[in-house]
Amino acid sequence: MGKREVLQAKDKSLSHLRTIYGDEAETVIADGRYGFISSLIKETLKKPAVEEVTLSDRVDRVLLNRIVGIPIFLVILYGIFQFVFTLSEPLMDRIDAGFDWLADQAIGISPQWLGSLLGDGVITGVGTVLTFIPPIFLLFMAIAVLEDSGYMARAAFVADRVMHSIGLHGRSFIPMVLGFGCNVPAIMATRTIDNTRDRLATILINPLMSCGGRLPIYALFAAAFFAAHEGIVVFSFYLIGMVLALAVAFLLRKSVLSGPSAHFVMELPSYRLPTLKGTIIHMWERGREFLIRAGTIIFGAVVLIWFLGSMPWGVEYGSEESWIGHIGGVFAPIFEPCGFGDWQAATALIFGFLAKEAVVGTFGVLFAAEEEGLGTVIGAQLGWTPLVAYAFMAFSLVYVPCAATVAMIRRETKSWKWTGFAIGYSLVLGWLVATLIYQIGRLFVG
Amino acid sequence: MAREITIALIGNPNSGKTTVFNNLTGARQHVGNWPGVTVEKKEGSLDYQGYHIRVVDLPGVYSLTAYSLDEVIARNFVVEGKPDVVVDIVDASSLERNLYLTVQLLEMGARVIVALNMMDQADLRGHSIDTPRLSHLLGVPMVPMSANRNRGTAELLREIVNVAEKKTQAKPLKIEYGREVEGEIANLEKLVSQTELSQRYSPRWLAVKLLEEDEDIARKFKE
Amino acid sequence: MAGYPMPLAMASPGEVVRIADVRAGRGLTRRLADMGLLPGTVIRIINSQMRGPVVVEVKGTRLALGHGMAHKILVTR
Repeated sequence: MGKREVLQAKDKSLSHLRTIYGDEAETVIADGRYGFISSLIKETLKKPAVEEVTLSDRVDRVLLNRIVGIPIFLVILYGIFQFVFTLSEPLMDRIDAGFDWLADQAIGISPQWLGSLLGDGVITGVGTVLTFIPPIFLLFMAIAVLEDSGYMARAAFVADRVMHSIGLHGRSFIPMVLGFGCNVPAIMATRTIDNTRDRLATILINPLMSCGGRLPIYALFAAAFFAAHEGIVVFSFYLIGMVLALAVAFLLRKSVLSGPSAHFVMELPSYRLPTLKGTIIHMWERGREFLIRAGTIIFGAVVLIWFLGSMPWGVEYGSEESWIGHIGGVFAPIFEPCGFGDWQAATALIFGFLAKEAVVGTFGVLFAAEEEGLGTVIGAQLGWTPLVAYAFMAFSLVYVPCAATVAMIRRETKSWKWTGFAIGYSLVLGWLVATLIYQIGRLFVG
Repeated sequence: MAREITIALIGNPNSGKTTVFNNLTGARQHVGNWPGVTVEKKEGSLDYQGYHIRVVDLPGVYSLTAYSLDEVIARNFVVEGKPDVVVDIVDASSLERNLYLTVQLLEMGARVIVALNMMDQADLRGHSIDTPRLSHLLGVPMVPMSANRNRGTAELLREIVNVAEKKTQAKPLKIEYGREVEGEIANLEKLVSQTELSQRYSPRWLAVKLLEEDEDIARKFKE
Repeated sequence: MAGYPMPLAMASPGEVVRIADVRAGRGLTRRLADMGLLPGTVIRIINSQMRGPVVVEVKGTRLALGHGMAHKILVTR
């Protein structure tokens, strides 16, 4: 057919041009285009004779500085967290109170099982999670501002040096920061990494970046066990997550995923003042995903938990004799060395696989009878010390990506092998970290 | 019965394309996926003077070579999706580099409107652009804008309707690549015209792409 | 005016240089071309740190080039 002739002629043309120009045809063609553009520009664009050093450049000299760049970034990150939490606390309290009241009303409904389903189950469970709308949306908003202002590119640039020593890419940095909001879009963002191995490594470590879904867990236990130091405690998990992510990436790149690292070329957009409208749209896009998941998966999980907690018929709700108690009981011993070998904790963690937010939702359902702060209740009922709480939070940070993230990993890697690896390694790592924290901590705290 | 117009938004990353998209569609947006791939597809719509305008946001690209998935998607939509108008968002303060994409669109023979965005930034830097002359030299309508301040959106819409209604088949831009290259192009063009692919794509464009060793186009010839 | 080609990494901030050669694989060369970096292009060094990424201005845009890149691009003064 004519097509083959075309391909043969093409090869001949290419080698002919290569001989004449000493360069690939595509370079000559690109050159031609730029030449054309250049002539247009000469006629139509007037630039000032001397392009003064712009304010943007001056700011960059500081933000991109080898020594100061990374500390500045960490400070900005810390500032964001402070902003998010201080602003959302009063809102969260109000939402919490609102759902409590609603749950109380619901329990009175007859028939009794319906009242329990709504009051103990759905409203309490889903409500506990929805309380976290303020911080999660604010976090998404902060990320949107970082991106729209152009700072994100600088941060990636600054991070590139660190990334490179790990064997990763400056471009891997942005998905990592996005992971603070939610791992699902963060993994989608790895599209921009061309090198397969870099990309795979970035995807696999992303779940270690503490996502918004884990926020309820930290907030709950930090408030109950580390009151007055909440901010630092929560921030510590973001740090631990980052450090672990970098460490795992390093190991991966040294062993299973070794190979040359791709090259870093990135445009630095000029700094821009983000528009309110643009930021809100950005924030809403990502936040809406979260809400939909909260609505569906968690709703389903909560109903399921409630059901398992109410069976066999007539059993005391959420007790050890119920089905859910049995399930948790099976896995509880595994967590003994970690300090939280309780069936409730095991159960909560199992449901955490569906969605990290469900851990808190599950606790909320299991301890629904109580009224005071859930965290304190858990502490009292299970006899947890702050050390145990910290180990538990660490485990929640590391173990297993949530179901939605697993689905996304599978989609982006197109490989069951790597998806399985992601689940496996994080489980083992989580157990190790929690155990280390608890056992070593015991030597100091007792 | 409102007339339907489909437009595609294309442009460099950081050219303000998203802002233009938001200005046009407001809350009426919807995010999905391009079929068969994991790339996000953003679509929105608006009603304007009796027209229902569907806006498809293409991935931000620097070029239309088939180097990355984003570029292939953008290119395929322009050719196969057959939008009524392709709006190329150009960062006016970075004119020279941004026009690289524009020029490739014009070589494809797409029906293009150039949205000259970030005019305020260009002004700030002391750049002055002779827009009418540039528009004339490229043979393409140009609309100055500052999407950040929502300036120029109305003019853009007016131009979109204008171009969509005229339905003229745009004549592909022809760039002189030098005698040797042009010689090879002419040769390939002749051979390409004898294949079925010349029905869908301009033969010259195919010839140039082949010389650029474009993987996507080469694949089409291998089938 | 043209001097002997040297790696971009050795140029200092503020200097204006011309690209002499790009020593990279096809994919990378193409990507650089898309961003405006071709032999013959004039660029200005904005920021350059030892063993760190280099920021250059090309055709009115700022580009950040990773460590390895600055050694693959040869320029003349």
